[in-house]
Amino acid sequence: MSLSAHQLSVGYHGHTIVKKMDLTLPDGRFIALLGPNGCGKSTLLKCFARILPAMSGEAHWQGQNLHHYPSKQLAKELALLPQTQPIPEGIKVKDLVAYGRSPYTGFWGKLSTQDHQIVEQMMKQTGTYELRDQLVSELSGGQRQRVWLAMVLAQDTPYLLLDEPTTYMDINHQVELMHQLQALNKQGKTIITVLHDINQAARYCDHLVVMKAGELKYQGSPEDVLTSTMLKEVFSLNAQIHRDPVSGTPMCVVED
Amino acid sequence: MSRLFRSVSLGLFLCLGLLLISWWNLFAWSVVPVSGADVLHAFTSFNDQTIAHRIVLDLRLPRLLTALLVGACLASAGAIMQGLTRNPLAAPSVLGVNAGAALGMALVSTLPFLYGALSTSIAAMLGGGVAWLLVMLLGSTWRVGANEHGRLVLAGVAISALCAALTKAVVIMEEDQAAGVMTWLAGSLADARWQTWQAFWPVALISLIGALLIAPSLNVLQLGEDNARNLGINLLRSKLLGSLLVLMLVGAAISAVGSIGFVGLIVPHIARLMFGQDFRLCLPVAMIIGALLVTLADTLSRAVTYPMETPAGAILALIGAPFFIYLVRKRTL
Repeated sequence: MSLSAHQLSVGYHGHTIVKKMDLTLPDGRFIALLGPNGCGKSTLLKCFARILPAMSGEAHWQGQNLHHYPSKQLAKELALLPQTQPIPEGIKVKDLVAYGRSPYTGFWGKLSTQDHQIVEQMMKQTGTYELRDQLVSELSGGQRQRVWLAMVLAQDTPYLLLDEPTTYMDINHQVELMHQLQALNKQGKTIITVLHDINQAARYCDHLVVMKAGELKYQGSPEDVLTSTMLKEVFSLNAQIHRDPVSGTPMCVVED
Repeated sequence: MSRLFRSVSLGLFLCLGLLLISWWNLFAWSVVPVSGADVLHAFTSFNDQTIAHRIVLDLRLPRLLTALLVGACLASAGAIMQGLTRNPLAAPSVLGVNAGAALGMALVSTLPFLYGALSTSIAAMLGGGVAWLLVMLLGSTWRVGANEHGRLVLAGVAISALCAALTKAVVIMEEDQAAGVMTWLAGSLADARWQTWQAFWPVALISLIGALLIAPSLNVLQLGEDNARNLGINLLRSKLLGSLLVLMLVGAAISAVGSIGFVGLIVPHIARLMFGQDFRLCLPVAMIIGALLVTLADTLSRAVTYPMETPAGAILALIGAPFFIYLVRKRTL
């Protein structure tokens, strides 16, 4: 299994945002895509999730052109949690999570006993089991984010893409989510997430991909990537690198 | 369990209501007196010499069957459109399909060089299709990320007005046909005969079955396009298939009885209110409620100006227009 870009350009309405990128993402890792606003990290993720087509070049999945891969098969192998989600009306939490099983069900969408078990398990894992009979539209933003996470987890894919999953969350929920993702990664899932917080990425992820102006600048372990040179070059920021006193991972502290 | 019980009892209640209204429709407000018992006898012991029996089987029954199927078609077309656009105000009459279909039919039935070139139902589908395509382009629902509810409805209103104006112009140019076209524009079941029914039911039935088959993918589409794609739905295919079904449903209904509005707007809301958001359940329910509503409107259409007939479309507009205003006011567009 692998996800890669080959001379890939992606953009909107004729504007190229990701420019001729070559990138192979390592399998089985917890990967963060980093970079300043507008660098193309979310755009790249959207192309990997087939929300955006390639303008030129190709994205590859399992050695095949991702955009020609059978839709239903891809939905069993690669799941996306978009950044902003609609608020579906009149749908209960358990029904929404159950839609995560739709790539596996027959065309009428009837759930098997196993499907029901997986749905229940994912609701428990994300702490949404108690909310199962409530309407999604009546939940708080943070609760709703966890319900959507439960849905993509019910998709049971080896790869999981997340677009800034922590953006609208309180700090405690952010930490909780990062722990959950770490645990999923330990169970064998490859996780690729766009993050804003560099220190959060360095602490929880084991592979960082740094982009600037649509181009790949650095990739590798947090140790190798998170340096003052990188911060200066990519974010135009003067910063020192220290050790996180709790986890021992690198951490940046901004200079005046 | 209580949810299932509630659904089943509501469903039985609806079917019973449908049966009673159908029976009532067969005898109510007939110029030649027909009684409820006559209706039953016409089926059980038909007598060729009894005028009441002849009226029931030759005039009332095809009219009733057409009304039932027209209602089912328009209601499911509305449900599919609301599902595809995720817009509660979407309906064939709101988004220009009715007006476009009417224009298509007016063109082939009045203009000499088009006369007979296409069957009226094909003309209705083409007209409706072109109008809807224009509305979609103007309302920009096909663009990535854009889903502006108000804009889509405004585009629908504009295109409907344009089509209506063109239809009137065509009708004025060909005065001989004008009266027929005007009746037909108002949507009336008064002229529905066995002939109408025979031309109508095959397309209608195929489209209704098709509508049921796309119900599961409409469910997933309610989660938004990004999520639907992520869950393995082929968006382009689903949208094209859904649009084609809408055009077949509306085209068949409109070419049978003329332009009847508001059924497609109101009925899906009632179905959802009663049975929830699941299209696998609320689509078939919408078909039953649609059939019920149009049959009721047809029965009343004979009562309002008895012994004359009022078009059923006018009766439905009386119920539908206030409901539309209620929906607009309830939601922030």
